[in-house]
Amino acid sequence: MKNKLTDIFANSVVRMIVALAIVGTVSGAALVLVYNYSMPKIKVNMKADTERAIKDIFPQTDKIQNTKEEGVFKAVDSSGKLLGYAFLAEGNGYQGTIKMIAGVDGSITTMNGMEVLESQETPGLGAEIADDKFRKQFNGLSLSHEIEYVKNEKPQQPYEIEAITGATISSRSVVHILNKRIGEIRKALKG
Amino acid sequence: MIKDLIRGLWRENPIFVQVLGMCPTLAVTTKALFGFSMGIATLFVVVSSSVVISIIRKLVPEQVRIPMFTVIIATFVTAADYFLKANFFSISKALGPYVPLIVVNCIILGRAEAFASKNSVGRSFLDALGMGLGFTCALIVLGSIRELFGFGTIFGFQILGDGFEKWIIMILPAGAFITLGILVGVFNIIDKKMRARERVQG
Amino acid sequence: MKMLTINVAPHVFTPVDTRYMVRGVIKALIPATCASLYFFRWQAFLVIIASIAGCVLTEYAIQKFRKKQITLGDSSAVLTGLLLALVLPPVLPLWMAFLGGVFAIAFGKEIFGGIGCNIFNPALLARAFLMATFPVALTTWSQPITLDAVTTATPLGLIKFGGAATPYMSLFLGNVGGCIGETSAIALLLGMGYLLYTKIIDYRVPLAYIATVAVFAFITHAINPKLFPGTPLFHILAGGLLIGAIFMATDPVTSPVTAKGRWIFGIGCGLITMIIRIWGGLPEGVMYSILCMNALAPLINRVTKPKRYGETREK
Repeated sequence: MKNKLTDIFANSVVRMIVALAIVGTVSGAALVLVYNYSMPKIKVNMKADTERAIKDIFPQTDKIQNTKEEGVFKAVDSSGKLLGYAFLAEGNGYQGTIKMIAGVDGSITTMNGMEVLESQETPGLGAEIADDKFRKQFNGLSLSHEIEYVKNEKPQQPYEIEAITGATISSRSVVHILNKRIGEIRKALKG
Repeated sequence: MIKDLIRGLWRENPIFVQVLGMCPTLAVTTKALFGFSMGIATLFVVVSSSVVISIIRKLVPEQVRIPMFTVIIATFVTAADYFLKANFFSISKALGPYVPLIVVNCIILGRAEAFASKNSVGRSFLDALGMGLGFTCALIVLGSIRELFGFGTIFGFQILGDGFEKWIIMILPAGAFITLGILVGVFNIIDKKMRARERVQG
Repeated sequence: MKMLTINVAPHVFTPVDTRYMVRGVIKALIPATCASLYFFRWQAFLVIIASIAGCVLTEYAIQKFRKKQITLGDSSAVLTGLLLALVLPPVLPLWMAFLGGVFAIAFGKEIFGGIGCNIFNPALLARAFLMATFPVALTTWSQPITLDAVTTATPLGLIKFGGAATPYMSLFLGNVGGCIGETSAIALLLGMGYLLYTKIIDYRVPLAYIATVAVFAFITHAINPKLFPGTPLFHILAGGLLIGAIFMATDPVTSPVTAKGRWIFGIGCGLITMIIRIWGGLPEGVMYSILCMNALAPLINRVTKPKRYGETREK
């Protein structure tokens, strides 16, 4: 049993505030240390992730340069020649956001490829947008027209891709996201 | 002392008996590796927060103990999250928001409130270690079963042949519920038999 | 298993028992089964056999394991297997049909304590499981008689994704792509006639269900025939509506027992079916609509429970 004096002390507002303040301060200080240790590494990881995707789309890439447009990069080979633009694109899929990186050539007339960075599509169905079979269709796809998709048949036009069977919504989302983003980039880089 | 450790592994297993921490349990166990990583991250948080809380347990004012525990837990969770992002980037990406969500995992606050705030540092450490290991084991079992049927692999190793048709439901939330239900049932059957034997011997 | 009784009073003894009802439903399914054998030949036959085998063997194994009385004699496992097979596509690999049967009995029925204790219709539950597990196999169809494999060739798929209509006569006879037993409207209606005549099912659920679908289709079609091409007759005949309304939604275990409750149940099924058919991502919504309403059935029973004589409101 506590005596009366410590009881008052235990219940005092001052004590609660002090205790919380100490815990908060110590936690904050600890987190600063963790942050300082890990943030540079995290940045390197994220950059490596994007770079790996860009190099996948433009295999000869030597240097990646930022452009004035946020999320759009120039891929340049070792002789300094422009290979094309790589850009981040994201939008709504069937479940949650689809985040992709895609590449177009310097004049934005053909696509060089597409890679899915993040998606929450249905495994085994919509998630196949990240598989080679679907992705490779974007290599060399013509941008003379908006990208379109067909179902259960082979694409006839150079700007068409075949949607994944049973995952039309995911396929359509990819096409919509890319069309929208390519339009934006065309405007931004010309202007 | 040893009892404190064993309790979390079997008789009070956080998943199969207490049915706590269902959010990560159901969400990240699509593959055994994800279950394992999630388990280890949780193990780290539950052990370190239990130890710290046990150390300061006599200094904590009764009325603000929950906010204080939460701040301490959140600190360790954030540290674990940054650590994973810095060193295991792909795993961190796969686990997504569920690492930060360890904060709200009832197992951790539950141990802090029910055990660490009342017992010595040594016992709290063992208790948290047992709970963390019990949680990790359960997640690995769950993840292995789901990965086996959903992808035909366990920890990425091909188990089922090429002719295997993937059971997509096992990677979906419904598969998590079905598998967990079966496991809890099997756990209860084994536990019942063990208790019956103990009674005979005792 | 006397704990879960959701029936309301009065409990009158009749010679109508489980066995009688199950046999009656199986008899009522004979026309649909024959039609399926005619349209989908050996494919239908094998799927039906595989599905029934899965159900019967599982029921036997579980009851043996749990040391309970073997109740195969009431044929309810056979009925579940047959119903499941009739809502599966004819080209389904046989082991999947077998697995569906195992799931129907193990997780649809026995896990709740056996016949009469389940929440969801076991056959539909198993179909939902197969649909989620093997989505591609469950949406691969074959043309009737020629048995050519095709995708999205059900009338509902055609109208939803291709805007093509199917002649009513084909829908009525069943000469269209679809699940084994759902295509032939005439065969299913014959079965309904038998069930209503022998009073095994109540007219309320099928009537409310089908009428709701018809009214819904009529209104949407009248508002904008281009956007909603399905006419009331099309929506009644196409897809699994008839087999669902006649054989699945009337399951005495998983549907309400009160008269008012049955109206509510049927209307709810109809609404959900049409919402999925018109605005959903899938062409067909009968399965999910019945499963959703199954979950609500105990609640509907509670709400619509008739007042006992002299009963006053609880305090």
